Amino acid sequence: MASTACFMIVSKNDIPIYEAEVGTVPKKEDAAHQHQFILHAALDIVQDSAWSTSAMFLKGIDRFNDLAVSVYVTAVIHTRLMLLHDSRNDDGIKSFFQEVHELYIKTLLNPLYLPGSRITSSHFDTKVRALARKYL
Amino acid sequence: MVEPENTRLGKMLLDEITPVVMVLRTPLVEESCRKNGLSFIEMLSPFCNFNNIDVPVRTASDHPYRLRKFKLRLFYASEIRQMNSEVAKDRLKQVVTHAGDRDISELCSDPPAIETIVATSELEIVPSWFQTFNKQLVDAVSFSEHESFDHPVACLVAVSSKDQEHIDKLVDLFDTNQLPSLLNDGAMDPKILKYFLLVHDNQDDILEKSTGILTEMRSTFGAHDCRMLCINSSVDGSEEHHENPWASYRNNALHKKQFGCFINVDDIEELKTTMQDLSSKHIIPHMELKIRVLNQQVSATRKGFRNQIKNLWWRKGKEDVPDNPNGTMYTFSSIESQIRVLGDYAFMLQDYELALSNYKLISTDYKLDKAWKRYAGVQEMMGLAYFMLDQSRKDAEYCMENAFSTYLKIGSGGVRNAVRCGLWWAEMLKARDQYKDAADVFFRISVEEPLHSAVMVEQASYCYLLSTPIMLRKYGFHLVLSGDLYKKCDQIKHAIRTYRGALVVFKGTAWGHIRDHVHFHIGKWSAFLGMYDEAIKHMLEVLACGHQSRAFQELFLKDFLRIIQETGKTFEVLRLQLPVINFALTKVVFEDHRTYASSAAASVRESLWRSLEEDMVPSLSVIKSNWLEIQSKVLPKKYKESNVCVAGEAIRVDVGFRNPLQIPISISNVSLVCEHSTESDETVSNASSSLINYQNDTELRTVSVSGDFSLDTPFFTLSEVGTSIQGGTSILVQLTVTPKTEGTLKVVGVRWKLSGSVVGIHNFNADVTRKKVARGNRKLKQSIKNKLEFLVIQSIPRLEGVIKNLPRTVYAGDLRRLTLELKNPSTVSVKNLKMRVSHPRFINIADQEAMDLEFPNCLKKHANSSESYNHVDCAKAPNSVFVFPETTSISADTPLVWPLWFRAAAGGSVSLCITIYYEMEDKTAVITYRTLRMYYNLEVLPSLEMSFKISPCPSRLQEFLVRMDVINKTSSESFRIHQLSCVGDQWELTLLHTVDSVFPLEYLIAGQALSCFFKLKKCQTRVTTEDNLSSLVTSARADVRLGDSDSRLFDTSISPLILFHHHERLLQEKLQQEHQSTIDFILMSESQNESESGQPRSSEILSHHTCHCRIASTSPIRWLMDGPRTLRHDFSTAFCEINLRITVYNSSEDHLSVRINTVDSTPTVIPVSSAASVSGNEEGWHDLSHLSDIKLTSDLMRSKVGKALSFESVSSFVWSGSSSTRFKIEPLSSAEVPLQVCVFSPGTFDLSNYSLHWNVLASGEGGDDEAGSRVTSSGTCQGHSYHITVLQKD
Repeated sequence: MASTACFMIVSKNDIPIYEAEVGTVPKKEDAAHQHQFILHAALDIVQDSAWSTSAMFLKGIDRFNDLAVSVYVTAVIHTRLMLLHDSRNDDGIKSFFQEVHELYIKTLLNPLYLPGSRITSSHFDTKVRALARKYL
Repeated sequence: MVEPENTRLGKMLLDEITPVVMVLRTPLVEESCRKNGLSFIEMLSPFCNFNNIDVPVRTASDHPYRLRKFKLRLFYASEIRQMNSEVAKDRLKQVVTHAGDRDISELCSDPPAIETIVATSELEIVPSWFQTFNKQLVDAVSFSEHESFDHPVACLVAVSSKDQEHIDKLVDLFDTNQLPSLLNDGAMDPKILKYFLLVHDNQDDILEKSTGILTEMRSTFGAHDCRMLCINSSVDGSEEHHENPWASYRNNALHKKQFGCFINVDDIEELKTTMQDLSSKHIIPHMELKIRVLNQQVSATRKGFRNQIKNLWWRKGKEDVPDNPNGTMYTFSSIESQIRVLGDYAFMLQDYELALSNYKLISTDYKLDKAWKRYAGVQEMMGLAYFMLDQSRKDAEYCMENAFSTYLKIGSGGVRNAVRCGLWWAEMLKARDQYKDAADVFFRISVEEPLHSAVMVEQASYCYLLSTPIMLRKYGFHLVLSGDLYKKCDQIKHAIRTYRGALVVFKGTAWGHIRDHVHFHIGKWSAFLGMYDEAIKHMLEVLACGHQSRAFQELFLKDFLRIIQETGKTFEVLRLQLPVINFALTKVVFEDHRTYASSAAASVRESLWRSLEEDMVPSLSVIKSNWLEIQSKVLPKKYKESNVCVAGEAIRVDVGFRNPLQIPISISNVSLVCEHSTESDETVSNASSSLINYQNDTELRTVSVSGDFSLDTPFFTLSEVGTSIQGGTSILVQLTVTPKTEGTLKVVGVRWKLSGSVVGIHNFNADVTRKKVARGNRKLKQSIKNKLEFLVIQSIPRLEGVIKNLPRTVYAGDLRRLTLELKNPSTVSVKNLKMRVSHPRFINIADQEAMDLEFPNCLKKHANSSESYNHVDCAKAPNSVFVFPETTSISADTPLVWPLWFRAAAGGSVSLCITIYYEMEDKTAVITYRTLRMYYNLEVLPSLEMSFKISPCPSRLQEFLVRMDVINKTSSESFRIHQLSCVGDQWELTLLHTVDSVFPLEYLIAGQALSCFFKLKKCQTRVTTEDNLSSLVTSARADVRLGDSDSRLFDTSISPLILFHHHERLLQEKLQQEHQSTIDFILMSESQNESESGQPRSSEILSHHTCHCRIASTSPIRWLMDGPRTLRHDFSTAFCEINLRITVYNSSEDHLSVRINTVDSTPTVIPVSSAASVSGNEEGWHDLSHLSDIKLTSDLMRSKVGKALSFESVSSFVWSGSSSTRFKIEPLSSAEVPLQVCVFSPGTFDLSNYSLHWNVLASGEGGDDEAGSRVTSSGTCQGHSYHITVLQKD
């Protein structure tokens, strides 16, 4: 499992709709904004490369110091699953993204969930954290 | 594509990589120049820059080319050495600090919008001081021994005409001991081109003397290498220059003197020609010559296949040479150095082809020698040469990257070189529009100390901004990074500047942590610099940070408050985010003609009050009965539009606050903000001095140091509340404003003080307009606007009312006397008091005499009970209005006290609304009447529950058996059953058993159930169809004492009991079907209340009413067979004839036609249909629980009949007379029918083989034939068993 991992789902309008620190290292208070900064900046890169490839999984498209950003661009309303990680486990990350994507689609199927709004479901949160433990 | 020379990097290279001229001068030379405020070099420098020198140059090739741009770099000998890293650092710091100080003024202005930033060109975005900074960085590494372009090409030796012994001076100046180490340690050729200059100061010396010296110099050093320079020709020193060539030095010099004030046009011309002469006639030819010489040399030793092989072999032999990063093994005479010099000279003379080929040649050598620094330097130059040739970009980049990484590889010594290399590299990429890559390079440069990194990262951020597609987020991120680095080096101004730049990107972002971080740090640093307004503005943005952790929330709040404290002022902040206003204006309560006794009353729905006051309040049309009256009294139109309130009476506004944080916050001085304007000058909106117009939406306002807001103005008084809100909770604050004078009062907003330092203001109107924009709901806006504007009218009386000793919790059935107290604090009296109660079941208005009676004894029967109270006022029907007697007057001193009867009629939570109407004595008042609304809520607990079952007595027609079940439903209370009364004088109630057997205990304790039986007898045979109420008179027989025998019975026919009973009847009537012959029971009980406060034990009286009890029966008729039971007869003489009588009673309200059938033979039909028909039509006669009983009885009957059949196959008696008798019975009356039976032998006979068949006749029809009367319902009842014993008479 990665020591640092920050997972985030970003909606079409670049608004974070879900975020979770899933690393094993106890979260430092000031890391939260740093992770956000890195992921936010990485959106610029995603914006470029997302349209140049047909792959959904863009691994390690951006990095900051020893942290890498991997992104999974969903086909549904251009939602991006972003992971900031320091591990090299690409296969694990890919599986993680695929599973979370499935979860996200299930969330979308919820008629009470407005696409693009914040995901507040605690069930979703638990599942994501479990997946993170499993794959990262 | 721009020509490489015209790009920024090209200019930079043409500027930087140029021949260096070492300047040696005597102190007197310097002195002469100082007169102009310039040093010698400064004086010469402007003329060393040639934009169009136009000199033909021929280097290695045979084709000459013309040089256009050329520049000489002049340095004093002492400066020609590598700069100390500390000094360099200081210089850089100076540059940064200086730049920071310069643009502090811009820090307060709002950053431009993102669109404008994108649109502006690079020059405008990137701060200009970056170039200075970069130049400083590049300069810091000049005069490295491995780079020969920094090695002096020539030496300028200057003496002043004032000097003595010129020739010696000139020789002395070129003393090797003082020369730079480069010349001495063999890094460069000490034989250097020399040029001698005699500086003639026109002010101090005469020209002739100088000319003499010059001739002397020429003879010594050669005619070409000497020259005289005349300066300071201007006498008065007031020379003005149109384009001051020295203008750029202004920054460095402190004195205000005009630069070059003693230098006139001729002097400048001479300076120009001197420098031109130096460069074109000496330096360039010298370099050309050197290039040619070196080229030949290099060609001879290194060019050609043979030489290359030789070189390789030779190099291989040196393979085991240890790594020597400094590469000191190369002296100027070594072939490697010479190749490098050749390359550099070619580069300086802009023959990049030649330079590149030489660099390539040397690069491999250095690499093989592992002279990394030199290798990197050569790679760097290769890259630049490629760039200047505009060839192979890839190669150029590769070389730069190679150089950069090699410099970094050699450790600390190469870092500064790496920085320079990186800068050039980045510039190269920028020149080719590869901004993103340039940004990466800038970011890679930022490895050294934080200050450099900060500047580099900032430059990187601008590259992101300039790249296509634009990378704003990267821009923002890198600005923030550089801001952090600036902060690390205490360059707070720069830090703020970068953060503000980043704010453009992050403004309004949904990424909460980012936004908070940026705002918080700008705020914090601004406060550090004393820019408190700015600081507070940004801190306000982060206050409502519910998503942050608790620690951060505490930090934010603490810092914010600290900043506020540091300012020492109190700020008023519009839109303070903390606490959040939850639905501003939850409720506005004001009193016009409606007044409220308590706040609870105000929260009751208006429609409820309306319906309650419906009949009491005069409608508008009633008021305007007379046109004359209209003139005087009608409210101005304005009055109707806005709300009306009365001076001196408070307007209450409920404002909801929510704390979004996890930490508690305290707010104090919460009050409303109001505007008051007098009627006379409506155009002037602000009549009150304490009012501020908040419409102009100033975000931040400083109020006086004390910051107190006067609560008591001449026009109104405000209430103030202070409270603390726990984390994540909401509170509702009730605020009031009390207008004092007439006019218009407008509630503008609410203000509060957060933690005693910041005043927040929330404007209600702004809220509304925003809402309006969002929804476009005009109606809403109208209503809220109306809600907040009040027309204040003059003071009128306002009654205050309270119901005393109304309990909060009571047991159901509790009967009490309460007192209503009305006070009128004003001097003006009121009249026409009326009152109405929402639940007359619970509260009844008593007569005033009841006040003096002793309770509860007044309810008891008096020994000489007269019929005085027997008549109950019918007018007190439910929901009637009670009108107080005219004589009732209320003054300030003597409150009106009026008794009320209270009975907890039903269980549950009960809301009692009481409204009192009154009119003003003063006719001139705008409001002529008012209502006082009182509201009480009380909890009624279940106490006793009782049920009655009445069944007809089998033996008597007018007697019934009553079974009463009582259960004590309380958890702890015990009750003493006092008496059971039935209402109505036609009933007589007696207990079947003795009291003691029924009630072994005195009390009915909690949870206990009790059943007892009564006999109910109807005294009067006939009840006339009188008024229902008038029949409710009791006789003494209707009460049964169940409790202790010594107390008197309650009189259930007097005022409160009968009134409440009446309401109970009305209520229970609704639940059940209306029927005439019903009976009402009242159970009186007492609770021995152990009152908590230790008051004397007051026995509380409870009354329970059960109304409309009916006889549990299935058929409308009841009958009784009457006759002898035993008789003797002599059967020898004749058979026995026995006369019997059947009395049939019709208990229904319809006319019945009854037929009695006597059956001698076996009945064929089993009469079950009766039950079905009865249940089909007259549902009200029984309830569902009785249905099973019916079936049971019918089954019983059937078996009985069957039994009779079996053992009496031949009956020994016959009915005589007609087998069928038919008659009619009036409602609620009885009829008697004679019957006769003939018995033939002695024995006991069961005379049950008859049946009664009844038909309900339509009322009013008296026809006796079956065909005429419409049968609506019918039924058959099997006869009761009647045993008769006939004995043989002896």
